[in-house]
Amino acid sequence: MTFRFIHSSDLHIGRKFANIPEPADGNIRGRLMEARHGAIDRLAGAARDRGAGHVLLAGDTFDTATPSATVIRQALAAMAEAPDVTWWLLPGNHDNLRDAEPLWEAICRDAPDNVMALTDAAPHDLGGAATLLPCPVAFRSGASDPSEPLVTMASDEGRMRIGLAHGGVTDFTESGDAIAPDRDRSARLDYLALGDWHGRMAVSDRVQYSGTPEQDRFKHGRRGVCLCVELEGPGAAPRVEEIETGAFLWTEVDLPLHPRQDAAAALAKALPPEGRRDIMMRVAVTGWAGLPDRTDLERAADRYAPDFAHFELVTGALGTHYETADLDEIDRGGALRLAANMLKDDAESDALSPGDREVAADALARLYAYVREASE
Amino acid sequence: MKIRSITLDNVRRFTDPVGIREIGDGLNVLCEPNEQGKSTLFDAIQALFFKPHGSRDKEVTALRPHAGGAPEVTIEVETEGGRFTVTKRWLQKPAATVHRDGTLVAQADAAEAWIADLLGGDAGGPSGLIWVRQGMTDLTGGSTREQKVALEARRDLMSSVGEEVEAMTGGRRMDTALARCREELAGYVTKTGRPYANGPWRIALDRVEELTARRDGLAATAEDLHSALAERKRARRDLRDLEDPEAARDRRQKLEAARATNAAAERHAEELDSEARKVDMARLEADNARNRLEGFREAQAEKTKAAKDAEAAETEARVRKAALDKEREARDTAERNLEIALNTLKKAREAHNLALRAKAARDGEDRRRELETRITNAEKARSSMEKAAAAARSGPDARTLNRVESLAVAHATAIAARNATATQVIAHYSEGREGAIRTDDSTLAGGQPVPLPRATRLTIEGVGELEVRPGDAGHDDSSVEAAAVALRKALDGIGADDLEAARASAAARTAAERREGEAKAVLNSVAPEGIDPLREALAKIPQVDEDADAPDPEVAEDALEDALAAYEEARIARDTASERLSDARNEATRAKTTLTSLRERLKRAEDALTKFGTSTEDELASKSGRAAQALEAAGTIHAEKASNAPDLAGTEAALNRAMSVEQGARDEIARLKPLLARLEERISRSSGDAVEERLAETEQELEAAKATLARIGHEVKVLFRLEKALEAARTEARERYFTPIARELKPLLHLLWPEAELTWGEESLLPDALIRDGQEEPINILSGGTQEQVALLVRLAFARMLAAAGRVAPVILDDALVFTDDDRIERMFDALHRQAGDLQIIVLTCRQRAFRDLGGKALRLAAPEKMEADN
Repeated sequence: MTFRFIHSSDLHIGRKFANIPEPADGNIRGRLMEARHGAIDRLAGAARDRGAGHVLLAGDTFDTATPSATVIRQALAAMAEAPDVTWWLLPGNHDNLRDAEPLWEAICRDAPDNVMALTDAAPHDLGGAATLLPCPVAFRSGASDPSEPLVTMASDEGRMRIGLAHGGVTDFTESGDAIAPDRDRSARLDYLALGDWHGRMAVSDRVQYSGTPEQDRFKHGRRGVCLCVELEGPGAAPRVEEIETGAFLWTEVDLPLHPRQDAAAALAKALPPEGRRDIMMRVAVTGWAGLPDRTDLERAADRYAPDFAHFELVTGALGTHYETADLDEIDRGGALRLAANMLKDDAESDALSPGDREVAADALARLYAYVREASE
Repeated sequence: MKIRSITLDNVRRFTDPVGIREIGDGLNVLCEPNEQGKSTLFDAIQALFFKPHGSRDKEVTALRPHAGGAPEVTIEVETEGGRFTVTKRWLQKPAATVHRDGTLVAQADAAEAWIADLLGGDAGGPSGLIWVRQGMTDLTGGSTREQKVALEARRDLMSSVGEEVEAMTGGRRMDTALARCREELAGYVTKTGRPYANGPWRIALDRVEELTARRDGLAATAEDLHSALAERKRARRDLRDLEDPEAARDRRQKLEAARATNAAAERHAEELDSEARKVDMARLEADNARNRLEGFREAQAEKTKAAKDAEAAETEARVRKAALDKEREARDTAERNLEIALNTLKKAREAHNLALRAKAARDGEDRRRELETRITNAEKARSSMEKAAAAARSGPDARTLNRVESLAVAHATAIAARNATATQVIAHYSEGREGAIRTDDSTLAGGQPVPLPRATRLTIEGVGELEVRPGDAGHDDSSVEAAAVALRKALDGIGADDLEAARASAAARTAAERREGEAKAVLNSVAPEGIDPLREALAKIPQVDEDADAPDPEVAEDALEDALAAYEEARIARDTASERLSDARNEATRAKTTLTSLRERLKRAEDALTKFGTSTEDELASKSGRAAQALEAAGTIHAEKASNAPDLAGTEAALNRAMSVEQGARDEIARLKPLLARLEERISRSSGDAVEERLAETEQELEAAKATLARIGHEVKVLFRLEKALEAARTEARERYFTPIARELKPLLHLLWPEAELTWGEESLLPDALIRDGQEEPINILSGGTQEQVALLVRLAFARMLAAAGRVAPVILDDALVFTDDDRIERMFDALHRQAGDLQIIVLTCRQRAFRDLGGKALRLAAPEKMEADN
């Protein structure tokens, strides 16, 4: 009586990634979009590999309420190409019922037989011994727990109850729309498959976020996964297996520096040695660096950046440590040294705003770079 | 560095080696006539230090002798590191070597590097700064390259003297950094600091603006889509409700029920209307019967009253006719009395006029007489005045008389003057012989001097004639004659023989003028406006003959007044009678009219009674009673019907509402169906355009564009801040440059001009103007001598500062003082000696006499063997 299915969510198919800088001769945005679309095939593969007949998508399958026809039809076509799998699509907040009504109408009209649009909060037979209890999101921002209907949703006696909902378990906005963490107990669920959070999280044994199968932010530090959930029968504890599905790794590393440290070497050490083409890399530099270290760091970053799908060097939290020797390198005296001293004073002045201090510090670093460039 | 010896071989005219040796510290002077090779020496030194041995430029080739060959220059220098011999050969087998104590230290490029290092880098060294080539005695002369090199040298100096120890080349690095900064900045902003039109900043700004507009447009479209979705949802729900079969059946049943209820109510209302009409008819008949009875009774009363009033009117008409006749007679009597009074008045008026004409005739005669008297007196006065005026015009006036009197005095004075100088004779007669001596026309008085202004013959009775001649002293009579002529002319002018006659004539004139004034006063009194107006007034007085029978005017006037009063009284009486007659006539007419009217009224009353035929009053009263009973019965029936009537307005309202609901449902369905079609199309279009997808994409692009814009904005701020810092630092460095150089120059300047100062150019780093005695004079307008003196002093100051910065270099001056006069040249020599204390100065000059007093160590240009011999 083992029932096995794939739990995933937040595919955000159609996301454009227009905020990711596109190199003149690069195609990172296209690659990222394609990776999201490719998640369908990877989910189907995971289902086949694990012998699961159903893929439960817990909302936000599409990134917007009105994706283009190309996005919709190609996604449905990809699902159709896995006829041994039944796809259960739940409206989330991005593709909620109200704003995305045309989308769901199109899915209902054009979807292949193995794709089911869950536009009503009504039980569905998953075959065998399980009943799917979906809670479609009606509005982008609701004011109530979207999983509340599960409490009163009926199912045949002796069948496993599998809830499917979209929303957070923490009410960050205090709007009252958070999902109760004990909803599995209050609704007598064997498993509650949740979507909305892009990171993987187990709220409890029976309440799980799969996270997105293809990451789109630096927050989680790992590739996207889906869950293969196995239920032996009503009341049995679910067995949950994480299956990596992400094509891209979005990762952010901290790089603390201190004066007189070889910043370029520290950066090289912090970077992953391989697979860089599929890595979205962000390096957040903190601590202190001297003028030459800072220049070396930026030059090293410029050198490494083309290795990666995307590379960001965040230096906002990096302070500049000014040493006399560094300023001497600009000039030991004369007008250049005068200018360097003025900028250093401004960069360290409490009387100036942080913004003006930053401008002065960057101007000094630039002066250092000019002088060094001229001397090389 | 100090130069100790110089050797030239194959350099221009020196085809054989020649040179100078033992160049000392301090001041050295090579004084040679022209064409002896001083400038060649200078160019050779320049070439050794600044022309690479591989160079073949024109300055190098210019060193080659006419006969050809490879120019070679050797200079022995002394540095802190020791004594070195530097040799360079150009054009053929070019070479550069540096030896120390006979040992090769460097050659070729290494030797060039050694020389550059000796000069303190490649900034041009001291040549442009402190060396003065012949003919380039100002501060800015030389080739473009030389000027550039000199400027760089000054900048180096500016950068280094601030610290006084560093000979760094911060000046060029500053320029490089500033140029780099401005180059990057120019990629973003214009010279006025605004985003460059096609620059990345402008593009980023435009991009954000474009994306913001696009995002707003898409957001509006998305909002429109949401609104359409909501509206479609409402419309679908409403249409579903309206088209629900049960709801439609319920609407129809309600409508039928309302229609039946309303039809029953309408029928009852019609029956009630019929009963109401019967009541109206009965009321009409009862009213008619009652009105007929009352009309009969009124006609009878009218006939009786009209007959009585007509009889009284006939009596009144007769009385009024009699009164009219009486008043007409009285009016005729008054008319006759008035005619009599009018005739009496005419006669009295004629008599009165006759009396007035007689009085007028008497009054005119008195006036004529008065005017005639005034005219006579006036004419007499005018005649007197004219005579006196004529007399006054004949004599001289006071001014003329005064002139004559003056001329007479002048004449007398002239005579007296002449006589005073004239020969005088005094006759002293013997007793009894008085008067015996005579002149031509008179006897010579005795005992008193008699002047004899001209030759005069004195007849001495009994003796003969004695002629007296005044002699050469002369007695000029011209003044007397002139005065006499003037007097005579004046007297002739007024017609007088002599002064007395003139005076008498003047007195007569005065008297005549007085008489003229008196006569004029009389004339003005009698005829102030002239005589003619008097004559005109006289002519206007009519000639009236007096009637002897005319009555007395007063009596005639009294009679006229009486007649007038009588006439007025008669006229009033006549008017009063006429008014009374008119009143009587009106009264008679009114009485007659009243009578006629009453007779017609009686006739109408009689005609009204005939309408009732033979009916009696009792018969008419009986009919009226029956009609009133019928009306009461009809009212009772109507009231009973009305009390049972249904509310027709209510049933109609209910029916209207039911019909409205049905019609509203049909209309709403008709409205909703096309609305839904439109909404479907709108939704399909917007969702088909993937508006949300494009909105999300645009928002992401906008986020990225804003980040780019912020980054560029920060970059521009950084570049501006850096540019500002560099400019501020350079300005401050300049201050540091100018201060020590001014301090160094001050004592040198004061050797020539006490209290003089120089101002400095920010860009050129050279003096702009010389301030002397409070007057600021631009350098370029100073005399040639003053310019070369300032230039030399500035170079000496530079040299001292270079030395202070550790870059000791010799000062080489090739005829640097060409225009300086003898006085100034002495003080320039003092300046040279002053600076030569810790500098090596080499002076090349052809002015042997002028530089004789310069002092210093004398140098000589000679062949090496000769130099050796000399030493």
